[in-house]
Amino acid sequence: MIRPGVLVWIGAIVLMAITLFFITYEVQSVEKEVAALNREAIAQEEAIHVLRAEWSYLNRPERLSSLAERHLALQSVAPGQLIAAQHLDSLPVPKLAAQGDERLQDLLKRVVGETEP
Amino acid sequence: MTDLATENWKDSLMVEPPLGVESNQPLSESRAKRPIEIARTRLLVAGTIFALCFAVLGVRIVDLAVNDEAEIARSTTGREAGTLGLARADVVDRNGMLLATNLPTVSLYVDQTKVIDPEDAADKLHAVLPEYSRDTLIKRIAGDARYVWIKRSLTPEQEYQINRLGLPGFSFEREERRVYPQGPLFAHVLGYTGIDNRGLSGVERGLDRSLAASDRKTPVMLSLDLRVQHILAEELSRAIVDFKGVGGAGVVLDVDSGEIIAMVSLPSFDPNGKKQQDDPNQFNRVTKGVYELGSTFKAFTLAMALDYGVVDLDDGYDASMPIRIARFTINDDHPENRWLSVPEIFMHSSNIGAAKMALDVGATRQRAFLKKIGLLDSIKLEMPEVGQPQSPTAKEWRDISTMTIAFGHGVAVTPLHLASGIATLVNGGFLREPTLLKRPAGVPAPGTRVLKAETSEIMRRLLRLVVTDGTGKKASAPGYLVGGKTGTAEKSSATGYRKKSLISTFVGAFPMNRPRYVVLAMIDEPKGNEATHGFATAGWTAAPLVSRVVTRTAPLLGVGPLDEDAAPVRHEMMVNELSSGAKLASF
Repeated sequence: MIRPGVLVWIGAIVLMAITLFFITYEVQSVEKEVAALNREAIAQEEAIHVLRAEWSYLNRPERLSSLAERHLALQSVAPGQLIAAQHLDSLPVPKLAAQGDERLQDLLKRVVGETEP
Repeated sequence: MTDLATENWKDSLMVEPPLGVESNQPLSESRAKRPIEIARTRLLVAGTIFALCFAVLGVRIVDLAVNDEAEIARSTTGREAGTLGLARADVVDRNGMLLATNLPTVSLYVDQTKVIDPEDAADKLHAVLPEYSRDTLIKRIAGDARYVWIKRSLTPEQEYQINRLGLPGFSFEREERRVYPQGPLFAHVLGYTGIDNRGLSGVERGLDRSLAASDRKTPVMLSLDLRVQHILAEELSRAIVDFKGVGGAGVVLDVDSGEIIAMVSLPSFDPNGKKQQDDPNQFNRVTKGVYELGSTFKAFTLAMALDYGVVDLDDGYDASMPIRIARFTINDDHPENRWLSVPEIFMHSSNIGAAKMALDVGATRQRAFLKKIGLLDSIKLEMPEVGQPQSPTAKEWRDISTMTIAFGHGVAVTPLHLASGIATLVNGGFLREPTLLKRPAGVPAPGTRVLKAETSEIMRRLLRLVVTDGTGKKASAPGYLVGGKTGTAEKSSATGYRKKSLISTFVGAFPMNRPRYVVLAMIDEPKGNEATHGFATAGWTAAPLVSRVVTRTAPLLGVGPLDEDAAPVRHEMMVNELSSGAKLASF
């Protein structure tokens, strides 16, 4: 005759075996997933690395300047075109701003605000 | 009998009771208790041991199921994300722009023992790799070696095609190739690596250890600025074309930190292409080439005489007659034929004046001075290509040497020496070793004081004077207060100095009221053209080049333009000690 205690133990063992079985499979599948994600991450990292090299290659100053020459009507900044922010008042910009160009006013406020803490 | 038998039965029942059954027979109680106790204890001990064993087994089962599996999985994928397994660290410029990196490639090798038909394989491979002749390929394929390289660094297209051939015995191996996205622009500074990713020249060689170190995640940050380097290279190559020079060198140096912001040697070479060790274009004119740099040395002569207190600004020398010594004659290239004050000697670049001044200082002190500001020893740099300056030994350093060295003949140094020396003259008198590594901002660079602060202050004015009124007018970049010195030297050869082969140099600094950067430009063998009225001297060739470089790079380097004619600036740059009546603008 089987006693209830033994029954409980057998039940526990079976339950544990089943649980272990499922955990094992779950762990395996999670591991596979991790490995796949890892592989993908590595592939992406390598791709980013290669793209960085290409980005740097495409951004050669030599190439940029020839592109700028071809497509933009811009020239190098002459020293006279540069001015310190605190001397902005000597330019006609504030007057233009006073005449009502709001964007210009905002810009001016920001520039002057940054230089006068 | 029955009684006894009953008694016996009872007894036997008591001795071996079923597990867990309690007996409440009072008769046998005292007799049976001890053995039962012992049995129970033993059972308990054995049970505990078994339970423990099973617990250990159970834990191990779970452990195997959960953890070991994980380790196997990890070991099969090779490496974890976030650790790009590159053999060499990247090199970036001071703003983090990529200058050198490793890219993964595949290489083709063959296990000769597994090849079935070498000739057939060679035919098929020749179609994909036409750069190898059929015979070369057969030689590599036939044999019984297990591992022979066919080609390193295949393109993805070639890899695909070879894969499609399905040849037995051929395999690919993942490798890495060093790539320089900026091409020839940094060729001399960076150098290059061999096929095994070891540095062979330039910074790749000089910093090979840290580039190949195990901690390769952080790129090596150089002091160079990609934008400034490009501008310097562009202007220099334009000047070389304009003046039909054979080469050129350029340096931009931070006077306060010793950081090299740009360093160009032309002609350059493609570090991504095939490299021959004996290619003359690989010669680094900035760090390796030593040249007699001519009148630019007068800056050191003046600084020396002023620092030793041998002359004051209001002293002067008679430059009306050439100096004849031994079989030499020292003439002026821009003769004034009169008494010249010290500033005038500098601004008209008088050889006679400089020679007499140096003679007053004396050979020993001159040698000591040049040594002190680092012009007689090679510069320690993060690359192996450093030139050893050539100078007479202490014994050979006679008066005639003293006089010629005063105007830059007799001592040959690299352009980097010159830039570094000028930086010392204008930065307040501190000698700082030039470096190619970025220094942390805000931390003062180590330096040794080799000049009095007053000497440096006077030199700033004098260098500015050369640009406002002397031989370097074309170096002026309005707004940036350029100062500097021209130098046109005849190249020496086995047969003596060659009149037509010049080295034209301009070395300047800006802004002279508080110098931040030294700019040097040297053109090797320039020829005059129509625009320069046939002149190939530094004032016509190298000086305008420096002007353009300063105008274009100053905004990038954070130097704002100032009003050169403003009273305080004029006052700071004032030199009074000029002969009355002498025409300032004389050239």
